[in-house]
Amino acid sequence: MDKKTKLLSKKVARIRGWIQAIATLLTNIHISNLLKGKIYQGKIKTVCVPGLNCYSCPAATGACPIGAFQAVIGSSRFKFSYYITGFFILLGVTLGRFICGFLCPFGWFQDLLHKIPGKKFSTARLKPLRYLKYIILIVFVILLPLFVTNSIGMGDPFFCKYICPQGVLEGAIPLSLGNTAIRSALGTLFSFKCLILITVVVLSILFYRPFCKWICPLGAIYSLFNKISFLNIKVEGSKCVGCNQCSKACKMDIDVCKTPNHPECIRCGACIKACPKDAIQYQFLGKTCPKKEQQQSTITNR
Amino acid sequence: MKTKRTFLSILTLCIALLFTACSGKGTADTEKSQNTKTESGSKSADDSDSKLNDLYQQENQIFADHEDVWNKAFGMMSKSAADPNGNYADSLADTVESNKESFTDDELKTLTADIETIRKIEEQIAEIEKKNTGSDKTDQKNSSKDASPFKNFSGQDYDGNSVDESLFSKNAVTVINFWFTGCKPCVAELSKLNELNDAIKSMGGEVVGINTETFDGNKTAIKEAKTILEKQGAKYRNLSIDSSSDAGKYASDIMAFPTTILVDRNGNIVGDPMLGGIDNQDNYDTLMKQIQSVIDADSTKK
Repeated sequence: MDKKTKLLSKKVARIRGWIQAIATLLTNIHISNLLKGKIYQGKIKTVCVPGLNCYSCPAATGACPIGAFQAVIGSSRFKFSYYITGFFILLGVTLGRFICGFLCPFGWFQDLLHKIPGKKFSTARLKPLRYLKYIILIVFVILLPLFVTNSIGMGDPFFCKYICPQGVLEGAIPLSLGNTAIRSALGTLFSFKCLILITVVVLSILFYRPFCKWICPLGAIYSLFNKISFLNIKVEGSKCVGCNQCSKACKMDIDVCKTPNHPECIRCGACIKACPKDAIQYQFLGKTCPKKEQQQSTITNR
Repeated sequence: MKTKRTFLSILTLCIALLFTACSGKGTADTEKSQNTKTESGSKSADDSDSKLNDLYQQENQIFADHEDVWNKAFGMMSKSAADPNGNYADSLADTVESNKESFTDDELKTLTADIETIRKIEEQIAEIEKKNTGSDKTDQKNSSKDASPFKNFSGQDYDGNSVDESLFSKNAVTVINFWFTGCKPCVAELSKLNELNDAIKSMGGEVVGINTETFDGNKTAIKEAKTILEKQGAKYRNLSIDSSSDAGKYASDIMAFPTTILVDRNGNIVGDPMLGGIDNQDNYDTLMKQIQSVIDADSTKK
């Protein structure tokens, strides 16, 4: 049983790119809309997708949780979004940043860019920049939409409007290509955000996932749940020989042996693949810790 | 190493060029779509149509060149005085003649010079229109086939009074503003729209708002929209329409708000829709110019 799981963990880690591709396709299922320059607006659009995927992408299946969160906070009718906060907690507790590694379309986009050959730089020295995403989360996603409002209490979705490169990539560019009226309305804000997108693209080629590490507020939210999420990574101390191959393989600059469930871990499985002793594996509601299972059953009983 | 770096820089360049290419293609596309819109009817009618358009544009250019004086003159023009069968230049000359004392000598000179050019243009227009009376009929048949979504218009204002397509026939131009309650830029321009309504009332124009949340007489949405309109000091008419009507379908296809369109006396949409709020002065000026040209075209037709 034990051996099987290990094999499975390695298998899962190996096909990560394909899982990302499928997840991206599923979150952007209405592909024909890309040519029409029209947004799908059906019932399912009210459901959030797990990853950072712009609502305004013509092909998008659902809404971006970060965009929806700001829209609700910024509206004059509501001050707090219970639905989306609940959604964050649900996904955070079950999957954590596994979403970043496996399900997020923008994460995949950066992964693909990083495959472009060239000199790659380590981000190990830029660790303090990690905290930037928490500042962006608090300031641009929560405080500014909540407090910078007009006379009737409406705020802008500041992160979407001024920062998010995914919005340009998936929303503005395809929409303006397919829709003359929108194209004619593009202005300086569009150019500014294109500049952000280009910067992120260039940085993604040089560094591994700069947007996820430093900017993404969605990753910041999921990272808070990373230590307690049902799906996590376990290092078996008895098998570990302390070779440190895992930490060398980790592109998110984590000391895997010490903190396998560090907030920055995106569960990409690079360490699992690298471990020569098969000491690292994924576990869901870890069979090795029955305590968590009990907690889960009490939660469901309520 | 060097090749990789060049590869990188080329890639960035390509991305940058992509954006400029898109915008370039954009204008070409707009022209194309405008052409296809006018491409109803036979080829000869098309030719004369473009000639007519050209002539109208020349006239508008004259008005635009000496905007200050002409706006002054238009203000003095009384609708009833205009002879529907006479040359447009005659009625202009009459107006200037009867209000001679309110212009300076310089102004009079430009006005009379402009009127002479307009008289010549008008003669050409009349000639083309005479030739076209035959083909005009086929034209009209065609246009009724791909009917404007506002041909069989019906709706209700927020007090429950029914409105039909006579809404349009009463005015030379109807400015329709599509908005929704949760849209911040839409709400931001409401007061400016009210200003616009006051400004164009005397010129034979009206601003009408259509809130997409108030479709099908949705009472709570109407109540909300009403409060916001009151708070923003917007007193012009707002209508609730059926989502299944042609106009409702047209509104549902709008991908960006606020969108403002111009509708002429016959319920036809004139020009391309304008995206973005008119609280931006550039947008206001562009819209005002379009409104002026629709009104001018309307008075020449008479």
